[in-house]
Amino acid sequence: MVFITNEEILETVRMIQAENLDVRAVTVGISLDDCSARDVQEVCERIHDKLVQRAGRLVPVAREIQEKYGVPIVNRRVSVTPIAEVVASDDAESFVQVARALDAAADEIGIDFVGGFSCMVQKGFTRGDAALIDAIPAAIGGTQRVCSSVNVASTRAGINMDAVMRMSDVLLEVARLTADHGSIGCAKIVTFCNVPEDNPFMAGALHGSGEPEASINVAISGPGVIRNVVAHNPDASFTELADLIKRTTFKITRVGELVAREASRMLGAELGIIDLSLAPSPAVGDSIAEILECMGLERAGAPGTTAALALLNDAVKKGGTMATSSTGGLSGAFIPVSEDAAMARAAAEGALSIEKLEAMTAVCSLGLDMIVVPGDIARASLAGVIADVMAIGMINSKTTGARLIPAYGKKVGDWVTLGGLFGEAPVMPVNTRANDKFMARGGRIPAPLQSLTN
Amino acid sequence: MRTSVIVTALGPDRHGLLAAVATTVANQNANVDDVSQTVSNGMFTMIMFVSFDETETTLADLQATLAHTGEEIGLQIIVQHEDIFRFMHRV
Repeated sequence: MVFITNEEILETVRMIQAENLDVRAVTVGISLDDCSARDVQEVCERIHDKLVQRAGRLVPVAREIQEKYGVPIVNRRVSVTPIAEVVASDDAESFVQVARALDAAADEIGIDFVGGFSCMVQKGFTRGDAALIDAIPAAIGGTQRVCSSVNVASTRAGINMDAVMRMSDVLLEVARLTADHGSIGCAKIVTFCNVPEDNPFMAGALHGSGEPEASINVAISGPGVIRNVVAHNPDASFTELADLIKRTTFKITRVGELVAREASRMLGAELGIIDLSLAPSPAVGDSIAEILECMGLERAGAPGTTAALALLNDAVKKGGTMATSSTGGLSGAFIPVSEDAAMARAAAEGALSIEKLEAMTAVCSLGLDMIVVPGDIARASLAGVIADVMAIGMINSKTTGARLIPAYGKKVGDWVTLGGLFGEAPVMPVNTRANDKFMARGGRIPAPLQSLTN
Repeated sequence: MRTSVIVTALGPDRHGLLAAVATTVANQNANVDDVSQTVSNGMFTMIMFVSFDETETTLADLQATLAHTGEEIGLQIIVQHEDIFRFMHRV
């Protein structure tokens, strides 16, 4: 019997029972390299069989781990090889069929989402890439569990501005197709710069070409735990605050490490990574914005917000890195607006603008995430917002993503309810100054000097 | 192989709470390795280290019976494998 003090035991119980500590997702990454075939129907059958074989036991295994350790596992997911690399076709309808097959397999094994309806086009399109992007509206509009991501930029390649424009069109089309549900389809599409190949979080999860046959990637959570630590230390200096956050993140990450090891053993898949991201949820207290408020800001967006987020994000990484040797994925604090009730409130009150969120993107994870913009936004304006986020990732050699929701028929100030963990958010204003001549230039923004590291 | 779990029980104090939890554990053929309890401002807090092997009971059975006992005596009773505490607080 290992000696554990009563205080440590009660701290663990309090974190789970009162502070919403959970494991946000256990994601099985699955290679579909052996699922290619000339006939798309055969591809669909092979994908179905592979998902059932590799992840058929994911749901009962996650339940067993949850009950054994008493820590909730919120989502069970699968990420797959980018589908553009699996399907040898330039026919969009073939890709839609594959999306339906992914959806059916996900439904059969009972998982929440399957990610990887994806392609990498930072330097240019193959015919298959173009067909997959053409298929995204029908694929996302016609499925429940499929998530899509397109990598349009990287530090090594620059920004494919044609792809950025194309993604703007895709989002506007998906928003229209899913208008009856707040244009929720757009919540399942991420446009990336420097996409990670082992990310367990949706909607951007995919299983990259450098990954093993199958791997377990675990996403931790725990903003509520950090929030309470910060709230209970109102007089701590910045150095003391960073230390408190590091110590707490260490404990949170250890839970993720334990769950990952157990799932890896039980499912016979390699232990992939622990993603050190603090992922908020719409539940009260489970919020990144509330952590910033507890640090002493009236609202997220007040002057000092970017500095506060930088402190938080860095401390989370330092504490997490000590807790596991398998870091990866996105690993940084998330700042989604709709999925974080206090962030949405700050946006509704005008304390938080898209421009401020863009600045925050430079110091934390992902980027402009779950932000609802007017449904009548110009395609060049939407593309311009995406391009700005990609530029931050490209220049800073980091992952950035855009998950923007141009809510069909909605105007600035309207609230859009997306439901469940997607939450709700006000429609935020976007600068309406024209940018169409800039966006119409076409081609690629060259790779920056930072790409020349060899 | 013996399984070690930690049982925590929280709730308003009254007579016989520790006895009720211990009796349920005993009826499941599991062993109490260590126990401590305090009452502060009328709130009962108990931490019990329990172990068993597969011929005696299972984690699921122990959780179910203790949850039932907890409902009867007004306590929130949580049963967790000790590894979560070991992992979180020790390297």
